Amino acid sequence: MTNIMLPEAHRIIRILKETEAEYTFRVAYDGETKHGQFFQLSIPKVGEAPISVSGRGDGYVEFTIRRVGRLTEGIFGLSEGNVLFMRGPYGNAFPVEQFERKNLVVICGGTGMAPVKTTLNYFYDNPSICKDVYLIAGFKDIHSVLFTEELEKFAKRFHTTYCLDNTEAEGFRKGFVTAYIKEIPFDQMEDYNVVIVGPPAMMRFSAIECMKHGVDAGKIWVSFERKMSCAVGKCGHCKINETYVCLEGPVFNYRKAQNLFD
Amino acid sequence: MTEMMKKRQNFYEFLSLVFEKEITASFLEQIRRMNIPDEAGNRQMNDGYADLKRFLAAPIADPVEELAVDYAKVFLGAGEADSKAAYPYESVYTSPEGMVMQQAWTEVCALYAAKGLTLETTQADLKEDHVAIELKFMAFLCEHDVEEQKAFLEKHLLNWIPAFAKRVKDCSRQKFYPAAAELLCGFLEMDLEFLKEWEQSHTGEHSTFSYVVSREEMNQILSALKKRYKVCAPAFVKSRGGIGDKVRYREISSVEEIVTDRPSDFSAKEMYYPVMQTMIYFSDTECRESTLADEREMLLLLHPCDINAMKRLDTIFLENGGQADSYYKRLREKVRVVLLQCAGSYENCFCVSMGTNIAGDYEFAVHIRETGVDIQVKDPAFAHYFSGGALSDYEPEFVSRNEKTVKLPEIHGVEELKLASELPFWDQYDDECIGCGGCNTVCPTCSCFDTRDILYDETSLDGERRRVWSSCMLDTFTQTAGGGRARKTAGANMRFKTLHKTYDYRTRFNREENMCVGCGRCVKQCPKKISFIETINGFTEALAAAKEEVH
Repeated sequence: MTNIMLPEAHRIIRILKETEAEYTFRVAYDGETKHGQFFQLSIPKVGEAPISVSGRGDGYVEFTIRRVGRLTEGIFGLSEGNVLFMRGPYGNAFPVEQFERKNLVVICGGTGMAPVKTTLNYFYDNPSICKDVYLIAGFKDIHSVLFTEELEKFAKRFHTTYCLDNTEAEGFRKGFVTAYIKEIPFDQMEDYNVVIVGPPAMMRFSAIECMKHGVDAGKIWVSFERKMSCAVGKCGHCKINETYVCLEGPVFNYRKAQNLFD
Repeated sequence: MTEMMKKRQNFYEFLSLVFEKEITASFLEQIRRMNIPDEAGNRQMNDGYADLKRFLAAPIADPVEELAVDYAKVFLGAGEADSKAAYPYESVYTSPEGMVMQQAWTEVCALYAAKGLTLETTQADLKEDHVAIELKFMAFLCEHDVEEQKAFLEKHLLNWIPAFAKRVKDCSRQKFYPAAAELLCGFLEMDLEFLKEWEQSHTGEHSTFSYVVSREEMNQILSALKKRYKVCAPAFVKSRGGIGDKVRYREISSVEEIVTDRPSDFSAKEMYYPVMQTMIYFSDTECRESTLADEREMLLLLHPCDINAMKRLDTIFLENGGQADSYYKRLREKVRVVLLQCAGSYENCFCVSMGTNIAGDYEFAVHIRETGVDIQVKDPAFAHYFSGGALSDYEPEFVSRNEKTVKLPEIHGVEELKLASELPFWDQYDDECIGCGGCNTVCPTCSCFDTRDILYDETSLDGERRRVWSSCMLDTFTQTAGGGRARKTAGANMRFKTLHKTYDYRTRFNREENMCVGCGRCVKQCPKKISFIETINGFTEALAAAKEEVH
């Protein structure tokens, strides 16, 4: 009998400190992953939790994990060369083929950039297959800024707006991401998609703001972060009415997402 | 799979290809070579076939090109005003606004996901409720449960294909697509009839034998059964300190231990889905799956509600997501069901309202009386245990009336679900409910769990992962590592639980029945005297009033 919840051991290749609280783990992995999928990561000491693939390369996947909660404290006891137990990938993906040949708008808050980062890199590496990319990335403050190198890289090829909730800094404007949505020239784009990832309230208000500027809900894609103990439709934690986020998500078109009542 | 099922599957796959994309030259050639019957199942099919023949016989210079033009015109609305096309999506025909990606789309997405299926098509823009995809799903279902096939036909395909076929007829220039749509329509009708008949012929009652034995004889039979089976029934379990003894499922040896004058406090699920079980053992570098300590088969004496409840858990653990949970399956496979006739309707039972007062899936039934035990054997494999008893004409009786009844909420479509979710009715539970999760613990259909990693000592990384029952009424149920919670109040949790038990399950799995089986255990368990019966009735009433207000 196949055990769908049995984790596999994978070697940690590199650990990169992003901020005081966040670390990116590069883990040896040869299988396929799609943009926006996640794994159940487990640390023997603490347990399992769903973590998005934040980076992808030949023979490895990356996970960016925040040092909060029980699970994520434990992970920092690990070092390069250690084993990480994981299973996956799980969930659906951003419909990247649908994003091709169109403009793409990405709005993300904090660690919300993690699940959408491989998509951004895909279009960064293949500029000819899509039109202009607009990226609004918000962080709490300058100490919470993630993926600094990549932010700089993205600024070269994308229309980027980086902002901090309450302060200004070099390269960062002050305010929430929602304040900058009005600067996106939706009315001048022939066709586009909008990806919004971040905390629930941020996603809701960003979607509302986009729709206020004429964006159809069907063009908006969000990714949900939920508590999950299994990721295979059994444990019940991620269920919203008849929808299981682990099975039908974590990526949802906003037409559907706006009708998920928690 | 029988030959007939295989034939049906092939035909569904064929029809799916017809509508999935433009007809290629080779596919058209294949159709030409098909043996098209003059007489098919019904008039619509005959008409469809006749028109198809006419199209194939007509002198058309470049039929592939003509069909491609028609495909674009009919299904994509190319060069037409919006209303003129026959968009091949269920949502368009079943939503009030006639738009794509509405309720029907959501429903079929959930059905596919429940089977672990993802959308696979060469056509980038097809949505899940596209006629070709729904037909592909039917082809998939042909290998599965007939009940599900029937439900999908009735609730989805036949719900819109007739209207779709009519529109195809209005929009096409060539005969081909109207013929195909007519054929499809006729075939679906015929297939539904076939499934109904198939089901009737396969659910005929098997012959049963009934016996009556004395209690002493029954105890001897039990000891014979115990040589092979772990026989479990509701019986008193001593609590620590001896106060408040509970009736729970445990292994028994005599009829006298079996409690039938009241329902068990805990449900039978703990026998095949234990409160706690070890999933894996791990060290710092490897992990391995746990094994079962007790490999014996189990005979569980269950009331009808608990037999029905087991089917609900089966749906979640064996079906949802398309893959079985091996920890559940390995124990569940050991269960043999014995129907334990209810002594009457107990204090909080509302099984009749939930349609769970009757159960037919059991190996044998027992009715324990003061003076003896009635037995009905369905599975011949058990007959020899009872052959010493006197033959009787006993048939199990089912409760047909409860003192408590519930009226179930009627929720149709997203708007009403939204209305149900936003009712001020739920707010009362913010104060009333203390979030202890007792209701979930005694519920026979609650399946949620948490996992916990336990280390054996602090000096090594050797340990085990356990899974333990969880509870959606706990305030931490949706809490992520970051501390955020999707549902923050007891009222929101109560709403979630109530909808889960009376709406979500039947919607997701396309069933007639609800998750809740009306056993009433949660009513008795609640330390705050919250009655789930009153919750359901109050909710139904509040929703009806809110719907009234909207109209």
